[in-house]
Amino acid sequence: MSDANEHLEKLMQELRRGTITIAVLSQLSEPQYGYSLVTLLSDKGVHVEPGTLYPLLRRLEKQGILDSKWDTNEARPRKYYLLSETGKEVFDLLVVEWKSIVKSLNGVIEAKGDDSNGND
Amino acid sequence: MEMINRYIYAVTQKLPQAQQKDIAEELRGLIEDMLDERVGGAEINDSDVEAVLLELGSPRKLAEQYRGTKRYLIGPEIFDSYILVLKIVLIITASVIGIHFVIQVILNPVAILDHFIDLIVGIVTGIPTAFGWTTFGFAIPEMAGAFNSKGFSLESEWRPTDLPPVPDEKRQIKRGEAIAGIIFYAIFIVILAFSSEYFGVWRFSDEFTGVIPFLNEQTYGTYLLFIILIFGFGIIKECLKLVFGKWTYKLATYTLIVNLISLIAILFMISGPEFWNPNFMMELVEAGFLTTGSELYNIISKVWEQSTFWILILLLVGLIWDVIDGFIRARKK
Repeated sequence: MSDANEHLEKLMQELRRGTITIAVLSQLSEPQYGYSLVTLLSDKGVHVEPGTLYPLLRRLEKQGILDSKWDTNEARPRKYYLLSETGKEVFDLLVVEWKSIVKSLNGVIEAKGDDSNGND
Repeated sequence: MEMINRYIYAVTQKLPQAQQKDIAEELRGLIEDMLDERVGGAEINDSDVEAVLLELGSPRKLAEQYRGTKRYLIGPEIFDSYILVLKIVLIITASVIGIHFVIQVILNPVAILDHFIDLIVGIVTGIPTAFGWTTFGFAIPEMAGAFNSKGFSLESEWRPTDLPPVPDEKRQIKRGEAIAGIIFYAIFIVILAFSSEYFGVWRFSDEFTGVIPFLNEQTYGTYLLFIILIFGFGIIKECLKLVFGKWTYKLATYTLIVNLISLIAILFMISGPEFWNPNFMMELVEAGFLTTGSELYNIISKVWEQSTFWILILLLVGLIWDVIDGFIRARKK
């Protein structure tokens, strides 16, 4: 059983890597800073480590998917991130792709379940 | 708060200068936010700071995340070539060290222990040096981004129709043979460059007493250039074979050109009057191998005088056959 858990952990890591990007992009039609994103996402049940999120935000910014701006008016200077024009497009396309993946994967998983039931 | 500074420094010092300040500021904001959330308005103490930093994870890992993907000295695009060159270089280095040891032992067997120590020293210093320089030679262009061009990219677009046809067995060039050729030429260059004085008839009386050289030692320095040129062209030829992988008219033509240049260089060198040791016969007599006028003397003298001619013929036949063979193989479909 612990063996299975080990495998699961590794596979989940791979699975999360891509989905976190979608989750992050989904929240950035309004500007957010890193930690507000962490809490926002965790309220919605998506748990992201800050140590993963912050470098990810920078990478997305470098790729031009996110824009950023420092806000120094508050007591604590914060870097806000927002979807760029390209980012909005990318996100919309990504959502379509995601939905199709979910649909087809559900189909695959459930079909397999039916099969094994039939054979039993 | 001191610990936060240490943490931020540990992360950012491993990152590119240009990003350090920005990331440091963002990280500080994050840590303070996390601390606020944790204590909820109460006084912050050291254990809270520690807990938050632990949650963020080791600074090395965090820095790795920030740095992104490119974390290698030699990338996957050129790794195969790197390994190939490294193998060749290491084999050459090891062979030269080994041959040097064997020659030393034959020359002076009494001091075998000294030679053995030389051998060990040679292995310990020579192999890592060769390894280091080869790696260096690949790493520098890699860092400069020279291998990111389209030609090197693993993901460049390809079509199934681009696949080369499987060449006829006779057209194929065996990689092992080409590599062995390169190694062979390189070892000869090294030996001829550094121990030409052993290239001759070895005299032994109980122990090694000297060499009667085939070559003229006075003029050897100039000719060495030609020798390196000739063998260097041999290496180029083998490299071309490796790159092409099969015989084509293009490759055969290149072989023709390279062999022609080698041949001219050899002709130029060997036919010059001062290439061979002019006193060779005399030295043989002086060393007591021969007596003037004996039958053996006459035979060897004749062989010596005609050697230039025959060596030329042999080389000519070899190089021409090399080219003809190439064209014949290239014709096979």
